[in-house]
Amino acid sequence: METLSVAWTFFKIGIIAFGGGWSTVGIIKNAVVPLWIDEENFRSLIAIAQSTPGPIALNSATMIGWNHGGMLTAIVATLSVVAFPVLMIALTTLLASKVSINKTSINEALRTGSIAMMLMTLWVLRPTSMDPLLLLYAVATFAIGAFTKINTLWAILGAGAFNALLGPALRSIIGL
Amino acid sequence: MVFASITTVTLGGGYVIVPVMGHAIVKRGWMTEDHYYDTFAKAQAYPGPMALSTALLVSIELCGFRGAIAALAGVILPPFLVIVLVSKLLMTYGTLPAIQRFLNGAGAVVPGIVAAMVWKNTKRRAWNAQRIVELAILTALLILFPAASLPILLGGIVIMYLLEGVWKR
Repeated sequence: METLSVAWTFFKIGIIAFGGGWSTVGIIKNAVVPLWIDEENFRSLIAIAQSTPGPIALNSATMIGWNHGGMLTAIVATLSVVAFPVLMIALTTLLASKVSINKTSINEALRTGSIAMMLMTLWVLRPTSMDPLLLLYAVATFAIGAFTKINTLWAILGAGAFNALLGPALRSIIGL
Repeated sequence: MVFASITTVTLGGGYVIVPVMGHAIVKRGWMTEDHYYDTFAKAQAYPGPMALSTALLVSIELCGFRGAIAALAGVILPPFLVIVLVSKLLMTYGTLPAIQRFLNGAGAVVPGIVAAMVWKNTKRRAWNAQRIVELAILTALLILFPAASLPILLGGIVIMYLLEGVWKR
């Protein structure tokens, strides 16, 4: 059953989805490409998931579910991704003072872990096409994201709109 | 109270969720700002999206499990509806050349964003030899064995947690 395997996949993603959305993207990609979506569409999906409200893991679960079985699968996938986190919070609230974890150590470990996940994400999502215009968008976005305080959402929407409206004209001018 | 927490969390359904949510909560006098950011720091130790765990911890503290259910609905529902709407629109208009170009351009920036995130987090991190070695090993394992990322990460975190304790400076 496709719904079940979507659910199981996103349940597992929920277990390791810490450190903010971008560290999780590589894990999501490894789980869904090329099984449910191809490489290029996955990039568009991530761009959409990032520029719509809500956490990226949640949004991509909803979209993958929606495209593979419709409404029911979308609901199941979304709930699967939050199942484990919710369970953990419920458990630790119930057990409150009975477990003691060293907060500093666990946070430090998670920080290193999430940077490793981001590096892996960067590796699996490295630009595949040598199209100069598309590479330019990526480089410009890196500069904006790393050195300015501008929300990268604007880079996503900007590159999209620019490519839709001026892409063909620019390509013919510089002869691509 | 429960209903109000739904609206708060709904408001927060955005890219800058955590500060927006904090602002809404502090403004309503539910928590002080310091206390909210303490809760946020705790939330980071949980798996799952930070917005979700923060919203859950805040609402459990404010109004128990009923609050948690409201917060869960508040975090999940709005993005769910937006995504379903967007997916429906894409099904209808996704093949138009202009939309295709938009998606192409938007998708192309993704590596740039990830690289910027790596850059920022690397700069902010307090590095020492041990953490650099851990990072290198963990990244290499994740790239080499993509199918085993779950056990690699869980194992890696436990090991790094224990090592942080051993080499306390």
